[in-house]
Amino acid sequence: MKHEFSKEHRQYLARGRRNLALVWILRIGILALLLGIWEMVTAFGCVDPFLTSSPSRIAKTIASLYLDGTLFYHIGVTLAETMIGFVIAVAVGCAVALLLWWSETIRKTLEPYIVVLNALPKIALGPLIIIWFGTGSEAIVFMTVLVGVIVATLHMLNAFMATDENKILLLRSMGANKFQILFKLVIPSSLPSFISMLKVNVGMAWIGSIMGEYIVSRAGLGYLIVYGGQVFKLDLVMSATCILCVLAAGMYALVALLEKLLVKDAKS
Amino acid sequence: MKNEILRFENVSLTYHTRRGETTAAENLTFSVREGEFVAIIGPSGCGKTTLLSLAAGLLVPSSGEVTRHGTCGYMLQKDELFPWRTIEKNIYLPLEIARKNTAERRKRAVELAQKYGLGDFLQSYPPQLSGGMRQRAALIRTLAAEPDILLLDEPFSALDYQTRLNVCDDVAAIIRSEKKTALLITHDISEAVSLADRVIVLTKRPARVAYEHDLDFNEETRPIKRREKQQFSAWFERLWKELNA
Repeated sequence: MKHEFSKEHRQYLARGRRNLALVWILRIGILALLLGIWEMVTAFGCVDPFLTSSPSRIAKTIASLYLDGTLFYHIGVTLAETMIGFVIAVAVGCAVALLLWWSETIRKTLEPYIVVLNALPKIALGPLIIIWFGTGSEAIVFMTVLVGVIVATLHMLNAFMATDENKILLLRSMGANKFQILFKLVIPSSLPSFISMLKVNVGMAWIGSIMGEYIVSRAGLGYLIVYGGQVFKLDLVMSATCILCVLAAGMYALVALLEKLLVKDAKS
Repeated sequence: MKNEILRFENVSLTYHTRRGETTAAENLTFSVREGEFVAIIGPSGCGKTTLLSLAAGLLVPSSGEVTRHGTCGYMLQKDELFPWRTIEKNIYLPLEIARKNTAERRKRAVELAQKYGLGDFLQSYPPQLSGGMRQRAALIRTLAAEPDILLLDEPFSALDYQTRLNVCDDVAAIIRSEKKTALLITHDISEAVSLADRVIVLTKRPARVAYEHDLDFNEETRPIKRREKQQFSAWFERLWKELNA
């Protein structure tokens, strides 16, 4: 097929490819430039690497963590807490949103509670969580769930409530019951919102798990950051932060992949 | 005289909101017989959609009685096709809802789609179709459940003028050749005159039946042809006056 395109269309496609290449070159260029400047100013003594660390020191720190075998242990702990908290928050959020959609009475009754829970800074519950769940991973998972669940609930409730009234009318005229309206219309039409909720909640889950590790932990990336800060090892703080960036980006990419698989809206 | 499919007997409906109550319809009496195409016209805001909801059984009248023999199919202003379903799956929707999703009925629905020019689009998604084709698909979806009466709520009002005349012709042809009973509600006088066997004129809110006319077009049922006839403008003028009385 390709050779049948007109010259103009080939030029259009080539322009598109050039544009994309340029964007990628710029993206990588900015990263290289920042890392380069950072390395230079510390190497030439303009700033003290004790305070700012430097790319080479970060690389060395990560390498030494790897060599003493604790790198993947800390990553594994935080990743597991984040993932488990994320999945529970999404599942519970969707279930509560469904319940609220189903019954107007429950929705109206619970509205003030949800508003307050949403506004409450979850970190205020830190001491309670330690007392209730101890100092293990359970406390951190609970914190992660707490941060994500209200956002998930509100996001999905909004999506369910925004279902097209006319489409509901159409289904009712066909004699549909509430279950059928839910499964044939409300859930499928909320799929794009579900994906965007997942994207928001990826961020929420990392906030929850790292915040949890700040409050109470013996391992994990948040633990490394807190520990590094306390003993003034900023190399460790920066290393853990960089690893977090990579993990968060990876998790977001997974959700984006899921979106491609699920949302097959043919709009071409 | 043929069987009545739908009958409104002294139907009144009052809406309640916290601000007060509104009487949308008062002592409405009319009927639709088998095979008839009836159009109801009324001034805007007279509660036309309320009337169809009553006919479909989605609303219960405050007083009076609505009797319907058989099932109904509702067609709205917009096609309301589900964008995540193919045209084929959209057409099966009423079968799924009514739990009549048998291979035989699916086959009949597909035949209907093929007969009326949707055969090539069965695997397409709604956004890939033109407005006219989408409304045609919506009609086939309505017909798939084999309803005894079609309730049409200004089904052409969302289309541009050119498409509107064509789709109006299409829909009329399909309904007539499938020998379906239809109740059309519209504020467009020319649409009512070009489509219906009988026209009912409603008053302003609360809606009551003001006039009822049998249209005589000598068996001509094609809307485009009707629009060329002399009677067309005569009826148009008469109904216009009655609506604005």
